[in-house]
Amino acid sequence: MSNSETFKYDDKIVRNFAIATAIWGLVGMVVGLYIALQLIFPALNFTAETSFGRLRPLHTNAVIFAFVGNGIFMGVYYSLQRLLKARMFSDILSKFNFWGWQTIILLAAITLPLGITSSHEYAELEWPIDLLIALVWISFGINMFGTILKRRENHLYVAIWFYIATWVTVTVLHVFNNLVIPVSLTNSIPVFAGVQDALIQWWYGHNAVAFFLTTPYLGLMYYFLPKAANRPVYSYKLSIIHFWGLIFIYIWAGPHHLLYTSLPDWAQSLGTAFSIMLIAPSWGGMLNGLLTLRGAWDRVRTDPILKFMVVAISAYGMATLEGPLLSIKSINAISHFTDWTVAHVHVGTLGWNGMLTFGILYWIIPKLYRTKLHSLKLANTHFWIATLGTLFYTIPLYWAGWTQSLMWAQFEPDGFLTYGNFLETVTQIIPMYSMRAIGGTIYVIGVFIMAYNLWKTAKTGKVENTEVSFPPRVETIAHKGDYWHKWIERRPIQMLLVATVLVLIGGIVEVFPMLMIDKNVPKIASVQPYTPLELEGRDIYISEGCVGCHSQMIRPFRSETERYGDFSKSGEFIYDRPFLWGSKRTGPDLHRIGAKYPDSWHYNHMLDPTSMSPGSIMPAYPWLFKRKINTDYTAAKIRVLQTLNTPYGQNYADIAVQDLEKQAKKIADGLIAGGVDQEELETKQIIALIAYLQRLGTDAKANVIKE
Amino acid sequence: MKITKFKSTAILLVLCTLFIPFSLFAQSANNGSSVWIWALNNIFLVLAILVTLGFLGTIMKLIFDFIELQKLRLMKELGVEKEIVVEEMKAPLWKRIYEGAWNIVPIGEEKNIDLGHDYDGIRELDNKLPPWWLALMYGSIVFAAVYLYYYHWSSNDWSSIQEYEIAMEEAQVEKENYLLKQADGVNENTVTAKLDEASLLAGKDIYMTLCLPCHGAEGQGVVGPNLTDDYWIHGGSMPDIFKIIKYGAPEKGMISWNSQLKPSSMQNVASYIFSLKGTNPANPKAQEGELYVPSEVTENPTNSEEQKDNIN
Repeated sequence: MSNSETFKYDDKIVRNFAIATAIWGLVGMVVGLYIALQLIFPALNFTAETSFGRLRPLHTNAVIFAFVGNGIFMGVYYSLQRLLKARMFSDILSKFNFWGWQTIILLAAITLPLGITSSHEYAELEWPIDLLIALVWISFGINMFGTILKRRENHLYVAIWFYIATWVTVTVLHVFNNLVIPVSLTNSIPVFAGVQDALIQWWYGHNAVAFFLTTPYLGLMYYFLPKAANRPVYSYKLSIIHFWGLIFIYIWAGPHHLLYTSLPDWAQSLGTAFSIMLIAPSWGGMLNGLLTLRGAWDRVRTDPILKFMVVAISAYGMATLEGPLLSIKSINAISHFTDWTVAHVHVGTLGWNGMLTFGILYWIIPKLYRTKLHSLKLANTHFWIATLGTLFYTIPLYWAGWTQSLMWAQFEPDGFLTYGNFLETVTQIIPMYSMRAIGGTIYVIGVFIMAYNLWKTAKTGKVENTEVSFPPRVETIAHKGDYWHKWIERRPIQMLLVATVLVLIGGIVEVFPMLMIDKNVPKIASVQPYTPLELEGRDIYISEGCVGCHSQMIRPFRSETERYGDFSKSGEFIYDRPFLWGSKRTGPDLHRIGAKYPDSWHYNHMLDPTSMSPGSIMPAYPWLFKRKINTDYTAAKIRVLQTLNTPYGQNYADIAVQDLEKQAKKIADGLIAGGVDQEELETKQIIALIAYLQRLGTDAKANVIKE
Repeated sequence: MKITKFKSTAILLVLCTLFIPFSLFAQSANNGSSVWIWALNNIFLVLAILVTLGFLGTIMKLIFDFIELQKLRLMKELGVEKEIVVEEMKAPLWKRIYEGAWNIVPIGEEKNIDLGHDYDGIRELDNKLPPWWLALMYGSIVFAAVYLYYYHWSSNDWSSIQEYEIAMEEAQVEKENYLLKQADGVNENTVTAKLDEASLLAGKDIYMTLCLPCHGAEGQGVVGPNLTDDYWIHGGSMPDIFKIIKYGAPEKGMISWNSQLKPSSMQNVASYIFSLKGTNPANPKAQEGELYVPSEVTENPTNSEEQKDNIN
């Protein structure tokens, strides 16, 4: 040990990320609780900025990218240094990573309530923030690889394989799902339209779950669980097989979010087939976690950290079994668009991500502050509260999802829908929504208890960067009898390349045919581009987050065509940038809402939904009646759409605003003739929104299409 | 000797999993009872139910495990030896199959499979892949291959649209069979006012939830016209009222209820509206449309092609 080098781990950056994790976790979950309450008490939608449609993406972004995101950085910065026996490559990059990420979160917290959104689920942030995300993420990658390259250990431990796969896949996903052409600083138009946009979004969306909520957390599990349990990892072979299996197969499963939609059947089937194959690799992680605890189960009953980890891993196992099951078409037909999906997601997030983060925080904070946990009893209380909260949250929502789905599809013997009025199916599940809010409250109380406990712990200690000694790395040559996989564990760059190739295969096979082969999206002659007023109305629809509660995708089911009209065809969406199919029906589908109700109905309904549908839980949108349509960028939008081959006439951009005003005047005149009394009505946002809603789904309705 | 036992369990499990997808093809050749035919026709549903049961079992097991752990803790506090309690919990009948399916090296022999890795104090063992897990993996790969073949290359291949068309045809047959037995086929040509108490009450119920927002609680008219006076935009006869409810008049703001209300319900609500005539509520909306004078003869309304276009 004479040639040992002495150096210090950067523990202060870990502490910063840990604090950010706890704080953003609280914020994100409180927002979640608030929107859960809005579903029961629509009066809680006070202003535009606090309405459900705008707050929902704030909740999802906060818990995914702020809570779990900081959790990832916390765990990676702590474990990476120790597993490689090296300080982080660059303190400047570490600091940039930390402050850059917090800036992104702040920007998200400001822009989302302002209605600045791209509407791609879990990728709502607009392009300037996307660029910042790319910059911070790449600097994190450089910092990680810099550390790996100057490591003192020869081999990379399994946790680091997961970190590498996470980094490269998130980079690829983030870039491709955010390919847009900017219109202004706060608005952009995606380069892909309709079905293609949908496929890319759910290739992203699904893998955001896979490579942001799953793989990095599996990496964390592989470090923190054996450390906390003081037990050897159960099976090295299982680590290898399930790691490579998981990252290769996961990327293919995206289309299972689009079953029975206008996505071509072959892509849907690939999504289903690969989702089924995901069960074993996912469960490999669960088994390796739970079996590592063999011989430590006596400690599980006293140690809250291990308890949290056990429940987290079990929740992971349940969610990754349920996910593939939900990818089977006959089950997806029931679950899709209902609260079943929401329940499923929360088993994963409250159970797996939440509980594992709590376990790690309880372990890491006393270590960082060189002290003991303030109260073991409070941590135990938190454990039981969190477990109960998760159950109280998910079970009512499962019930709500099943109930509503069955009600949607129930027919009378004479061929009528039993619940022809969509609202009946909503009113039925409001009690379940109340129970869910109670479950959420319980869970959030637990997090407050944890925050208090950790705060008290931190106050009694102090963070010092840990000093260690370790000899420099000597390149080792392969030993005879070494496991074959050792080869790549010594070669981080090769590992990065192999992982990249593996994750690209699934994406390429599914996405490229969709982009290249026209046959996948049969054209419909009568489908025309949106008028300027409809485009502005569409942007208002996007801003208000209508897509959070209303789908625009009628599936080919009798129960849906009976309720909404003819099922949606892929050719109807070729001018939809972004696509707005949605993933949840808290309200009815809107794809064929056009020309179904008169303008005056929409006018009154948006002003006060309960006036037209008594008992509706939809928020009112009074600001749309005061705010003016912004026509500053209308021409620019038309020009961008033209570069993307939307067939507007030459120089149409120059007269777009005139056209917009003409159409607005016509709608406003009609409303005034019908008794609406409002000044300058034709300049108000509500007119644009009505224009858009009245256009929806009407193009294909105009002529009978049978191919 | 131990190893062969593990291997045979593994092979058995793999075989079992393999047979599940193959039963898909038994569909046409099957001559068994109707339960089996049903199960084969709904093979995915059956599989899903089975796995859901397993899933619920896992949750139950987890809950019971935690109860056991609490019990152990209490026992220890009370001074009962842990080993005795653990011994009681064992299920010897399943133990051998169970252990074979896991193929775990006992904790006592762990030293023999320690790989000697040391990552910040973390060691790794060289346990074999659990045979049941391996079976699950191979089984799911076979399942996926069979699934793709079944839907896209075999003679059975069908699309979502075909599935839809089949469902619609079945529903049509069912509906016609039902209607043959029923007398509920009221339409605008045959409808008459039903003024008995039960029908009016049923009509009022519907009115109060669906019509009230636009026409007011007493039919006095709000956004929509007054329904109590003698002036009607689309005619005031019973068939006229029925027709406007059924097809709507979107240009005026009246929506079509054809897909939401069945004929008998539309008849009830039309009858209720019919009964409101001349009730003189407070704050009536001004007259709209033309004066309607009921003729003594039974009305024979004309079909309006224009309005039929508005059916969704």
